[in-house]
Amino acid sequence: METTFDLPANIAFGVIAVAIIVAAIRVVTTRNIVHAALWLVVVLGGVGAIYILLQAEFVAVVQYLVYIGAIVVLFLFGIMLTRAPLGEMLDLTNRTMRVGAIITAVILVTIMVFSVVDSFRDEEVDFIAYSGDVAAAQTFADLSAEEQETVLDEVAAIGAEGTDLGPVGRTETVSDSIFRDYLIPFEVISALLLAALIGAIVIARRD
Amino acid sequence: MPNPLNELLRQYLTVAIFAGLGLAMVGAMLGVGWLLRPDRPEPQKYINYESGVDPLGVMWSQSQIRYYVFALLFVLFDVEAVFIFPWATRLEAYGAFGLIEMAVFIFILALGLVYAWRKGVLRWV
Amino acid sequence: MTVLSVLAQLSGPPFESLPIDWHALAPEVVLLSVAVLITLVDSIGLERARPLMPGLAGLGLLGALIPVITLAVEGSDRVLFGGAYVVDDLSLLLKAVFLLSGYVIVLLSTNYIAEGDYWEGEYYNLLLFSLLGMVVMASARDLITIFVALELLSIPAYMLAAWRKGDRRSNEAGMKYLLMGVFASAVMLYGMSLVYGVTGTTLLEPIGLIFAEVGTASVITLGVIFVIIGFSFKVSAVPFHTWAPDTYEGAPTPVAAFLAVASKIAGFVALISLIYFGFLGQSDLIEPLLFILATLSMFVGNLIALRQTNIIRMLAYSGVAQAGFMLAPFAVAASDPETSLKAVVTYLVIYAAMNLGAFAVVIALARKTRSGEISSFGGAFQYAPALTVAMSVFLFSLAGIPPLGGWFAKFSVFAAVVNAGTTAGYVMAVIVAVNSVIALYYYAQVAKTMWMDPVPDGDMTPVGVPPSLGWAIVLTAALTLLFGVLPGLLGDVTDSFDLGHLELLAFPG
Repeated sequence: METTFDLPANIAFGVIAVAIIVAAIRVVTTRNIVHAALWLVVVLGGVGAIYILLQAEFVAVVQYLVYIGAIVVLFLFGIMLTRAPLGEMLDLTNRTMRVGAIITAVILVTIMVFSVVDSFRDEEVDFIAYSGDVAAAQTFADLSAEEQETVLDEVAAIGAEGTDLGPVGRTETVSDSIFRDYLIPFEVISALLLAALIGAIVIARRD
Repeated sequence: MPNPLNELLRQYLTVAIFAGLGLAMVGAMLGVGWLLRPDRPEPQKYINYESGVDPLGVMWSQSQIRYYVFALLFVLFDVEAVFIFPWATRLEAYGAFGLIEMAVFIFILALGLVYAWRKGVLRWV
Repeated sequence: MTVLSVLAQLSGPPFESLPIDWHALAPEVVLLSVAVLITLVDSIGLERARPLMPGLAGLGLLGALIPVITLAVEGSDRVLFGGAYVVDDLSLLLKAVFLLSGYVIVLLSTNYIAEGDYWEGEYYNLLLFSLLGMVVMASARDLITIFVALELLSIPAYMLAAWRKGDRRSNEAGMKYLLMGVFASAVMLYGMSLVYGVTGTTLLEPIGLIFAEVGTASVITLGVIFVIIGFSFKVSAVPFHTWAPDTYEGAPTPVAAFLAVASKIAGFVALISLIYFGFLGQSDLIEPLLFILATLSMFVGNLIALRQTNIIRMLAYSGVAQAGFMLAPFAVAASDPETSLKAVVTYLVIYAAMNLGAFAVVIALARKTRSGEISSFGGAFQYAPALTVAMSVFLFSLAGIPPLGGWFAKFSVFAAVVNAGTTAGYVMAVIVAVNSVIALYYYAQVAKTMWMDPVPDGDMTPVGVPPSLGWAIVLTAALTLLFGVLPGLLGDVTDSFDLGHLELLAFPG
């Protein structure tokens, strides 16, 4: 089987992954909370780069626009609003907390890595988003009864494996699924954002 | 058949090269300055510049909560833009249906701005 | 050729939207319109509009109930968006529970919020948005819809918990609830992403079919555990209950009632959708997992409730224990899917009525005593006999004494776990029975204080119960009695559920 994720992509992934891990460790270990927020930018930017490697361009754009553009701004605002001293804080963590955090992290990483590696082994995702096939993405519901059967059989045969459902990475495809399959969540999100804004204004007002 | 993934990533190679060049330029400029400038350290030079007045207090200061509302509004409309972006790529295909759905979405979000304006939280001072 | 048609040719493949059944979506549309209307009225009218708000919110909730009733009368199941949104008898019953609970919460809030000067327009607005999230949740059969509905119902609730801005305990309540809730959302979302990664779909129905076919795989196990843990926070099941007592105590009491009833039921509705429509095939995993959660919730909730001196904290821990009772049928979810699903729904409906009633009486009595201490309610019978009788009805209903509604709820749960015929089911039946006895003790203790103890400060002035609060107590008390005396009423509704798919998911092949 021809591998889709070849050497240059693997090297790029390795470099980005190391950068993310180093930055993520700095986020939780730095004693200056503003530096933590800035290290977070590196983590989020690296994750965005991995989305591009995975051909999820739209998700990458959202990552840069919302997370780095807006969420970090909110973080920094939040930090600037507090009365706490903003320089170095030596009493932020103590030994017990650190040991607890390390144990929790190791256990969690072991479980997650084991389950993902155990289930997917060396399965590869088919990158067909940019192979020229622009047909709209198919969801399981679009398939005919026989095709659904086939998908189920395939899944049952290989065990837990990702089902290939079409060119899922393209922005057009994302848009089509928002306006077709996810129309209700889409409109509900506008209500969610409005409610969040109104509530936050009440809580943040000075009176 | 060429690997479709590499086709995409090759386009991003341009982005990576530009980003790399940009960083290299910054480094080069600072490096040249560091090489050429005379080096005579004095304590006054290390004081933060505050228009000629000696700085008072600590450099981090607590900011006013009222500015937070602006950050919130920014996030709100940032998220709105994220949904308008994919919609715009397929605008013609959706026709009136897409227009109505997006109009409802934007109308509900715009209410947030109306609310903030009428409740007087947008006043800067 | 027009410009538009040329553009349409340039813009890739044609797009066909899925048909939208407006009748099926009418409750949501009405609720959203009323919430938008309140925002507009509040923005335009400012202070002048404040007295209108409770009425507008209450009417809006009752208005949204009308399409629920017409849909129920018409009776056919409607499936929208390829199965992502289903309007059937089950979801209609749950929508009605949410709307009526919301209406009662508005009644409880009317005087409390107006007298406390707590941002009325925004309060009812957020309440309606949160209820909109719950109503959407009742129909959601899709991971993304469930997640968005969960966020819409949670985010306003975080802020409502911190609504008394000047009070540090309210700030603490909101903060704890927010941090725990966001953490739970993150865990749950990670679980959902694993489920999606395995199945390639967000729709619960195909996920259910695939899970039933595939059997176990470690990534499925992890995904399912994470999703269930995420919702365990929402329903305050032990060991994810720690936020509940502090949040209920610090939040405004009507908001505490909202969190204890509507928000908790919404968590259960999500669990019902996920487990009975998606994860049922993974019975070796979900049955033991929920057995543990249910057992821990009942024992820990009841044992800590025994020692509480504050009525709100006691109701919070009793709510944890009640969540345990509601989780109990899930422990036999795959062995006897139909009976256990009906038992959970029955319990949810009755729990809403009796627990809201208990909170209503506490709010009424606290208007006089200005305290949440159980001892401050001593001798309430002497100056507020009607409230004391009502409170006794709710407390004994929560304990499960016939002929009150809680009896039928407990009976359904008991019957469901026994009916399954598994060892775990019989053990669960014993645990339910033991916990019912423990719970009776602390519920009866409160009733005894109110009936027999002397009035602590000797102040015998009667309690002024505002009409809306009184109406809320009458309504909840009537429903609590009705469900107990005529259990067939609710039984008829649950019997009409179309649950043909359950066999397919639970026993594949």
